[in-house]
Amino acid sequence: MNQIRTILLWATLGALQTVHAQTAPKKITFTGAARSYFFGDKWDQETTVPDTVTIPRLHSGHVLADLGMHIRPNPNMEIAGMVRVRNDYGGFWGSGVSFDVRQLMVKGVIGGVVRYQLGDINYRMTKFTMWNPDQELMATAPTIFRQQFDVLNYDHFYDQENSWRQQGGAAEWGLVFNRWIKELQFHAVATRNKASNNSNVNDRLFAGGNVQLVQSKWLQLGVNYVNLFDVSGTSRNQTLFHNPVLTGTADFNWTHPKFTFHSDVEWGNSKTTLKNDSEAPGKEGNFVEANASITQPAKGWKLFGSVSKVSVGFNSPGAQTKRIDFSGQPEAFQRVGNEQSLRPYSVLDIMRESAFYNLQLQPYLMEFAPKYDNITPYGAATPNRQGFAIGAAWHNASKTFHAQLQQTMSQETKGEGTLEAREFQRTEANIQYESNPAKTDIRKWAIQANWRMDQTNRSGTEYYRGVDLATSVGSLGMEFEIFKKLDVLVGWQYIAYQGFDFTAVRNDYAEIFNFIEYDVDGKEIITAGGLRYRFGERAFLSAQVNLFDIQDQKQAANDYKVRQLMILYQINF
Amino acid sequence: MKKLQAIVLLACCAGFVGCSVDDEFEGPSLNDIYGSFSVMQPLDISNRQVDFSQNETTYLTAVFSKNIAWKVQVKGLNSGGIKEISGFSNYLDVDNTLWNGTVSRLPMMRAELCAVELTFENEPDTLRDTLEVTAGRVNQGLLLSDFENGFPDDWVPFVQSGGNMTFIVQTGANAAQGNKYYDMGGNVDWDWLKGMFDIPASAYGSETFALSSNPGAVYFNTMLYKPTDISNALVLFQFREDDNQDGVYNSTNEDMFSIEVSPDEDGWSLLSVKYEDLVTLVNGAASVDIGNGIREPHKLMQVSVLFLANPNSGYTQSYLDYMIFTENSPLIP
Repeated sequence: MNQIRTILLWATLGALQTVHAQTAPKKITFTGAARSYFFGDKWDQETTVPDTVTIPRLHSGHVLADLGMHIRPNPNMEIAGMVRVRNDYGGFWGSGVSFDVRQLMVKGVIGGVVRYQLGDINYRMTKFTMWNPDQELMATAPTIFRQQFDVLNYDHFYDQENSWRQQGGAAEWGLVFNRWIKELQFHAVATRNKASNNSNVNDRLFAGGNVQLVQSKWLQLGVNYVNLFDVSGTSRNQTLFHNPVLTGTADFNWTHPKFTFHSDVEWGNSKTTLKNDSEAPGKEGNFVEANASITQPAKGWKLFGSVSKVSVGFNSPGAQTKRIDFSGQPEAFQRVGNEQSLRPYSVLDIMRESAFYNLQLQPYLMEFAPKYDNITPYGAATPNRQGFAIGAAWHNASKTFHAQLQQTMSQETKGEGTLEAREFQRTEANIQYESNPAKTDIRKWAIQANWRMDQTNRSGTEYYRGVDLATSVGSLGMEFEIFKKLDVLVGWQYIAYQGFDFTAVRNDYAEIFNFIEYDVDGKEIITAGGLRYRFGERAFLSAQVNLFDIQDQKQAANDYKVRQLMILYQINF
Repeated sequence: MKKLQAIVLLACCAGFVGCSVDDEFEGPSLNDIYGSFSVMQPLDISNRQVDFSQNETTYLTAVFSKNIAWKVQVKGLNSGGIKEISGFSNYLDVDNTLWNGTVSRLPMMRAELCAVELTFENEPDTLRDTLEVTAGRVNQGLLLSDFENGFPDDWVPFVQSGGNMTFIVQTGANAAQGNKYYDMGGNVDWDWLKGMFDIPASAYGSETFALSSNPGAVYFNTMLYKPTDISNALVLFQFREDDNQDGVYNSTNEDMFSIEVSPDEDGWSLLSVKYEDLVTLVNGAASVDIGNGIREPHKLMQVSVLFLANPNSGYTQSYLDYMIFTENSPLIP
């Protein structure tokens, strides 16, 4: 041990402190954002009997300011607070004003060794332990639609690299070695997921830790543990949820003069129990995922592939909780027609409706929309999936042009309602070109195109239908700088779904007890055009018109169009 | 480039090799939900002449095209006793239809012909068959009387001199067990008590009943009948203990525990009460214990049955059959 000289050090922290010492940071700094957001919507639906009930025009919007303050009473401590002042358009004299605390956090360093953070924290670990997978249809959205997604993601704290906003504490520290092992990093987190109501709801905590061994730049090994659990005695309810997930990770890198090779693997298991509930089934599951890629930097090529298997019993609330709660209802034009029936959700709602979005880790699988994503509704940790993916990517020497093609083939690990497993296929292609941002003397322009085709199949019998569900998602986006900092934005997104599947109905223990026939045949198209003026890197004003058209071949009464005017002014400081 | 191809190939192979599907499935069977129903193997009975008194059993067999909720009803054509067995499966066999002679609805099975009927949820099919019970079950326990041999000689009856007083052993197919039962009925408009009888332990050859000393293990069971349109009957069972074991019950310092019931369902019903759940009653209300307050079934020296009704309520009637003490579990008729 004497030969291994250990130094307690958190490398990043050390570097940070050095910088602090040299630059003498201000004791108080202000950050924040301001936004003005306005929608003018027009409802348009052809009906055999004139609709005399639905109000065809809706105007909504707000202006808000997020005012943040960072106080550094000493070099090893920082207090951050942010308040949100929001006023809905039309809310004069304070009637529509809300005042919320958006963030309150303390962070610092103990003894120059342990970095900690308390309060509102954003945290993520691995894709199977704690990860906030993107919402449906966002990845392929052109810039003009991303503006609305970005607003939602900012409001729900999703904008920080797939992390979940939690309230609690986190700490990290490290050990640096001078032989054999480069570094040993320790991370720990504990958050309060749900508060007791002092009656029948227990306090629910999410806690975990990670130990990362950095052997060298070639090899890293890690162990991850997270647990969502109820705390006994915090209510009269004796039933206690308990869901530990334990995983291991390994990263390999290898460099050749012409190629670089990267591979990572993660494997682990979960166990879900409800203590003191004799009817609750015990549930256990496991998974393994391996990714590999080989890159030829000089020529811009990259080939990649992955294999994975996630068993049906794998339950990881930190990684499987969805952003979108599909059991919600849209707020705009919520009830339509003379009967004022509930309007089904659409991609337009997903892009702008805050009410659909979830902030809390859920103990079991949430509802999902098979027509948008039937293959990976819960991200990489989607249970009951096994298969592989291969793909290729290329970019030119100046990295202004990127192209990627990927094929995924997978199937269920366990059939639902039958021994036969569903089979899934996904083909994705995307290209994008962006004028060289480093060259300021040329006008900015960019174009991107994406295409995704999903297919789900399972044969049927003479008694029940086979599964045959296809989803196609296409998008095209363009940006042209017509005058200095003034861009024209154009976007088109096309979603078509057709076919049949059975959706599982689950009980309180997430066990399937019935199936519902899911029969869809429709398409949703958004065409948009607008202008954006960039005041700088962190501020813009955008005005756009979206033409949304949904056609439901199964139920013509669900056909409608929405003309949407959106004006967004956004500034971050 | 060859290395690259090999890596891709290996990855693909790993993917294919790893793709095995469980040999069980999640959720209910789609075939059960959507499949058509048919009987693949007809209904059959393993033992068509079954003697339950010899611990014989019988069961049904059949095979269906899908899992389905089914119900078997065996009805005694003489007694009217019914045994029901239900389940959810695509077959009937010894595991899910074994019958040892118990009933779901009284009367108890006796030597008789039984109609067997198999029905299915949401399906019109009904399968029928018959079997013969050559002898009913013999239950373990201390049988006070099943009245098959008339009113026991050593019991001490008392009957008021009211109108239409019965208090006799009747013979008929509608006995809860066997062919006889005790009919208590009459109209006494000046007193709650219509009639009663005492059952001394001496009638069974000892000063106290031969019961376990564990009150949690001893059950008193009997069957009561409520005629249609008569709802004023009360039956009070009293259990006198010889706390000091001097051979005499002293009402001032020895326990008398009771249970009072009012039959509320037409027809026969089973009364089973755990000895430790007996209470001291005064005029039908719980009261302080008279003696040592300890439930001691091994010191029980007399059981009394009192037939009561509000004197202003007119004629009343109830039947009684098959009084038996069992140990470790209530009577399963």
